[in-house]
Amino acid sequence: MAVKYTIDEMIVSRASKEIKDNEMVVIGQGIPMAAGVLARATHAPNSVILTEAGIYGMDPFKVPLHIADVSCTKGFTYSCDMVDIFTTVVNRGYVDVTFLGVGQIDKFGNMNSSYIGDPDNFVIRMMGAGGAPEFVGYANRAVLTMRGGEFVEKLDYFTSPGYVEGGDSRYEAGMPEGSGPKVLITTKGVFRFDDDSKEMYLAGLHPNVTVEEIQKDVPWDLKITDSLETTALPTIDEIDIIRRFSPEISMGRKLQIETIGARVGRLFAKIAEEQAKGE
Amino acid sequence: MEKFMATDKLMTASEAIQCFVSDGDSFVFANCLYCMPLALTHELIRQKRRNLMCFQQGGIEEIDQLVESEVIDRLVLAYNFRSGGIRLVSPLDRAIKERGLLVEEMTNHTLLSMMKAGAMGYPFIPVMGGIRVTDVVKRQGFLKGDRFAEVEDPFSGKPVLVVKGYNPDFALIHVQRADRAGNGQLWGAMINSKWAALASRRVILSAEQIVDSDVIKSSPHLTIVPAHKVAAVVHAPWGAHPSEVAGHYDYDMLFRVLFFASSSSAEGLRGWIDEWIHGVPDREAYIEQYKKKFGADTLSELLPKRFESTPADYGFPFTRVWNESDYSNQLGMSMDEFVAMLDEKGVLIDGG
Repeated sequence: MAVKYTIDEMIVSRASKEIKDNEMVVIGQGIPMAAGVLARATHAPNSVILTEAGIYGMDPFKVPLHIADVSCTKGFTYSCDMVDIFTTVVNRGYVDVTFLGVGQIDKFGNMNSSYIGDPDNFVIRMMGAGGAPEFVGYANRAVLTMRGGEFVEKLDYFTSPGYVEGGDSRYEAGMPEGSGPKVLITTKGVFRFDDDSKEMYLAGLHPNVTVEEIQKDVPWDLKITDSLETTALPTIDEIDIIRRFSPEISMGRKLQIETIGARVGRLFAKIAEEQAKGE
Repeated sequence: MEKFMATDKLMTASEAIQCFVSDGDSFVFANCLYCMPLALTHELIRQKRRNLMCFQQGGIEEIDQLVESEVIDRLVLAYNFRSGGIRLVSPLDRAIKERGLLVEEMTNHTLLSMMKAGAMGYPFIPVMGGIRVTDVVKRQGFLKGDRFAEVEDPFSGKPVLVVKGYNPDFALIHVQRADRAGNGQLWGAMINSKWAALASRRVILSAEQIVDSDVIKSSPHLTIVPAHKVAAVVHAPWGAHPSEVAGHYDYDMLFRVLFFASSSSAEGLRGWIDEWIHGVPDREAYIEQYKKKFGADTLSELLPKRFESTPADYGFPFTRVWNESDYSNQLGMSMDEFVAMLDEKGVLIDGG
């Protein structure tokens, strides 16, 4: 029987492979958290998940609403504060992997999660920096996922450092040797960064996606590896784990808003009806 | 620095904001995302406070409510939740573009480090310097040069990025429990609470529960803000609704969807603010209105199952030097014998 999966399930499955067992993983909500949970449920049971809110060693049974959501885990092993996480954990080099969702990204993996348009006369102020700059700056590896974001020649606002201007410029700016974004997973394929130039290149395609489709989204002359991989399909077991953990992530943001909106609409209608009966 | 040594600071939210907030003050939220001090925030809006400067790590709904109500005109923040994703214009977008709200962009770590330095009484504190390449450091908002600087590490000679310490005029915090003196206890996500509260000049605290000081004394590891920092203690059950508070209630998704849907237009948001902030005198009335509108059952669905922390045993023999018969095992004598001994040795001074 053919596996039927959603694109978000594909991204989660692929991203989970970036976590190894016994690693320390910093994540927020959404796709990254599902990837962390999937990794723990499959090949990396001893990896430790923490968030910048000071929730360390969590074991989430549903997707957190935000980074400080302790309602999604029955306990955790270390309760500390945000400065503790950034200084004693991240700055001391204990974090193996961090995940980040991408708004805008350039060819060296620098990212914008702050403004769309000229910041002085913007179209949209996005969420802002949050913890992203230091996480991407200081975790050993950063795994990037892009769902609704875009590749750009020049960022509207430089929020989080990838490889800055390429080469060794990231390390010259003060970030730890060897750290940086290692992979970007989009709805169409997988990208990596050249060891020397640090420029992003296309490393793999999701099934049924062509190189031309990807090139259309990328405004610079995208380099492509000679040995393009095809992304493995998520397995039936993985899909089951993801759907049980977070059907919201499986269905994606648009359907999620639609479904929850409809559910809340029915709830309001029922409440109104009961009140009318009561009066 | 003014310290607050009264033993009973219990008052209403309205009194607390009236007494300890002045227009033009700077303030910091000492909760972020979790356990939000919304009963107190709504009181700022109800009393039409103006020209406040606000520090917040990450807003979830409070920033949108404050900017729409024109309570704050300067905002230092790292993150603001966008209910509509990045497609819809948010209340914060509108306030910046249409009303000239000034925003200073920080990262979570650097904003809280400003508070930590201020809390410790230090002029500045080192932060993770790699972010010097980003626009967060390079572009300046209304704080201009009063955020980041590069100094030389006196030991290695290498450049160190530092942030300036800040002491906001007041902090708003909501906690699970506090005594009347203001010893506030919080657990769950500790995030920014400690440093934000300690950085401020005075803390306005609300609590789900007001407890006897003995409760505090048996669990001092949970005290996140000591009484001397706290100017006002407000008893506010459901004071963080619709955000979540461990041991008390879950976040209220239904109510949040209603808020986020309303805030997609300025009129919608103003309607929500009129109904849920100006339309009720206090948090108690807000909860009554909620029950009336959505049913008491809807609210009870948010109540938690118990998952209690294993108590930390602070026990000792608690043996006093003098037992009930006024005899000391340690000295091997009674109190009378002790006094006689002092006299005999000539160390007692006759006061006449």
